Amino acid sequence: MLSAINPITKLAACLLWMGESILIFDTRFQVACILVPAIALVVFNRTSPLVLLGLMIPFGLFGFGFLTTTLFFQKESEFALQVVGESVFASSAFSAGITLFLRAIACGMISAFFALTTDPNMAIRSLMISLRLPARIGYSLFAAMQLVPDLAAEAQQMRLARAMRFGRRPRRIPGPLEVFGLLIPLLAFAIRRAGRTAIAMEARGLAPAGPRTVMNAPTFAWCDSIFAAMAAAILGLCALLAVTV
Amino acid sequence: MTNAPCLPEAASAAGWDAVCVRYPFERQDSVGPVTLDIRVGERLLLLGPSGSGKSTLLLTLTGLIPRSIPADLGGNVRLHGSDTSAREPWGWATDVAQYFQDADQTLCGMCVEDEIAFALENRNVPAPQIVDAVASVMTQVGIPDGWRRRRTSTLSGGERQLVALAATLIQDASLFIADEPTAHLAPQAADRLHDLLLAKKDHQTILIVDHRLDGLVGSIDRVAVLGPDGTIIADGDPRTVFREKRELLASCGIWCPVSSTLDKALGEAGMASARAPLSIAEALAHLDPSVASPSEIARAKPVVDAFVASCRGASERPSMDTAPIAELVGADCAPFLGPVVLRGINLAVHEGEVLGILGPNGAGKSTLGVSLAGLLLPKKGTRKGAIGGFAFQRPENQFLTGSVKDEIDSALPKDMDVEEKQRQTQSALEAWKLTGLAHRHPFTLSQGQKRRLALATLTVSERWPLLVLDEPTAGLDAHGVSVLADEIRGLRRANRALAIITHDMDFALRICTRCVIVGEGRILADGSPDELLFDQVLLKRARLAEPSCGPARRWLERVSSC
Repeated sequence: MLSAINPITKLAACLLWMGESILIFDTRFQVACILVPAIALVVFNRTSPLVLLGLMIPFGLFGFGFLTTTLFFQKESEFALQVVGESVFASSAFSAGITLFLRAIACGMISAFFALTTDPNMAIRSLMISLRLPARIGYSLFAAMQLVPDLAAEAQQMRLARAMRFGRRPRRIPGPLEVFGLLIPLLAFAIRRAGRTAIAMEARGLAPAGPRTVMNAPTFAWCDSIFAAMAAAILGLCALLAVTV
Repeated sequence: MTNAPCLPEAASAAGWDAVCVRYPFERQDSVGPVTLDIRVGERLLLLGPSGSGKSTLLLTLTGLIPRSIPADLGGNVRLHGSDTSAREPWGWATDVAQYFQDADQTLCGMCVEDEIAFALENRNVPAPQIVDAVASVMTQVGIPDGWRRRRTSTLSGGERQLVALAATLIQDASLFIADEPTAHLAPQAADRLHDLLLAKKDHQTILIVDHRLDGLVGSIDRVAVLGPDGTIIADGDPRTVFREKRELLASCGIWCPVSSTLDKALGEAGMASARAPLSIAEALAHLDPSVASPSEIARAKPVVDAFVASCRGASERPSMDTAPIAELVGADCAPFLGPVVLRGINLAVHEGEVLGILGPNGAGKSTLGVSLAGLLLPKKGTRKGAIGGFAFQRPENQFLTGSVKDEIDSALPKDMDVEEKQRQTQSALEAWKLTGLAHRHPFTLSQGQKRRLALATLTVSERWPLLVLDEPTAGLDAHGVSVLADEIRGLRRANRALAIITHDMDFALRICTRCVIVGEGRILADGSPDELLFDQVLLKRARLAEPSCGPARRWLERVSSC
């Protein structure tokens, strides 16, 4: 359902929510910024809550850094708190840390909402049609986005090859040494892959300028208006409650 | 047959004048000097051993070398009478369709439908025309409609190759360049693509590099052969080249059609056909029992018998009394994080056995191979036995070090004596013709050289009691396949077990002691190569084709019954 919405509409809504999340320094508002997209993903996109929890781990670790900094290094964190518009004297260190922690997760959840409901191919095509994004930049972005699943598949092949050399099955979850050992080969793969994709596109006539047809580009429909209106309304309501209550 | 001589006045479609290419940091040219001209409407087959520079030469045609791939280019390259440098490489896409050796070099990572439409989108063709063209080319190539929204990276190697071909065929360019288009394709798909590529269209010029010659050479107008030093060593009509230069080609490790072997044997017996044959049927046409005298047939019979026997190899089955080296029992096999593709597999490999795993593209052969090697546990059922070695379809996946020599070194046991290690490494380098490349980075090798290195690392050590080789002959020249066959025989004599996933039916017949045919989510048949590879009903069901010596076998049956 959510994937049927035009990527441009979703991108605009997500940027708006992320902007508000940065501007409104309130714990309850940050919680709303986490819960609303998460509930939408679970209900309308059938995303497993476990997947969401897993995806939030890196954002949680990042936010945890803010929390510990605020709690244990209050003096040193003064500058950081000033930057985010909050004075350490105006709220307790703990609540400031918690808000920063939640803000990191909120930004992560909003990003996950966009990523999990949007086909990168459609997003790029939509950007090229609606925002006149040049094809060369569009397809470069597309290739970069496609690299992520390809890297995962390549890493798996490499893990199989390495496991074979060591005469054992690959572990379900790779250890830190194994991950470190894969970094350089994967980087080399990414560089090779980027080169190959560039050659493949050039050989099939992708020109830096000039008109081109864009097939299967998403169009705007009534569901975009409903989504945009609902996203703005819920955001407005949450912001109002955070500021006034 | 369409081996009509080209008219001398035909215009040039493409040409190289004293072209040589040297990659950065290399001491010698990778190819050249080459002077070669392709005439409009001509179908030219370019042959050469691995590493002779065939792919490099093709990349110079639209200026990808040196504009996109850095290299020093000497001489002149012409396309349709203009210097290649007159346009950017993308500017030639309306006139030249390029199918690269590695399907991943042709595909951009989109879903199948978008991938095929990409070239026409770039030409600003109206959307309704693109929709029609995509549907038409998908039907031609045999791509199921259900693949339209699948990402190409989720397809098997052979399936990707089909999509890459469709993506280039849709360009309908006046010059079509195909670099090993059938390397990973099942026999029936390869035959269909040969037909599709070589269907005569007015003024369409075809330049093709392929090792799979049977079924292809009959439609070729001219053959040009690059020698190991990257220069042209033969050029002419295929009938003449394969009869008169056969010894030269064989000495350079270059593939010849199987029919040329039979032609040579018949020639030695004074029974060769007047016209050099390009297929077994042609080689035996003058010996058909309806036209040849009994004495001629009697003279030819031992020759044909010996030819069929040489194609069959030694296929006696080893004893099955010993405990299997690896066994799958009631196994449901699935790729990592993927759905189950094969169900209820019961398969055992014994010592001294060479098991052929055959089947159409996307049947799950590689998944079966990885499961048999023990690198992936089956989703259901069990797998017994020690972990086996696995030669990946893309050899790059298994390279771990920075040089060819180190790659082989690292495959040997760590506790091996240094001198012994050096000796064995040197021996493997020589056996696999990698001596001059010992200090090169594995990723800088040609596809054939990469394949040889991957196989060398697996066969050099006795670490694995079972070796599973996934399409080991893809991209290899005749010498590489001959070395591989010798290695397999040696390993078999040493009582190691091997499983070979292949689309090369001739290789399977020559080397395997037993075959399984995979399809429809299970093992369709299990038996001796002689029994399975000539079973027309089974082959049709599994979308395979009989080995190229099939017509000779049938000739022998007819002659015996007369």
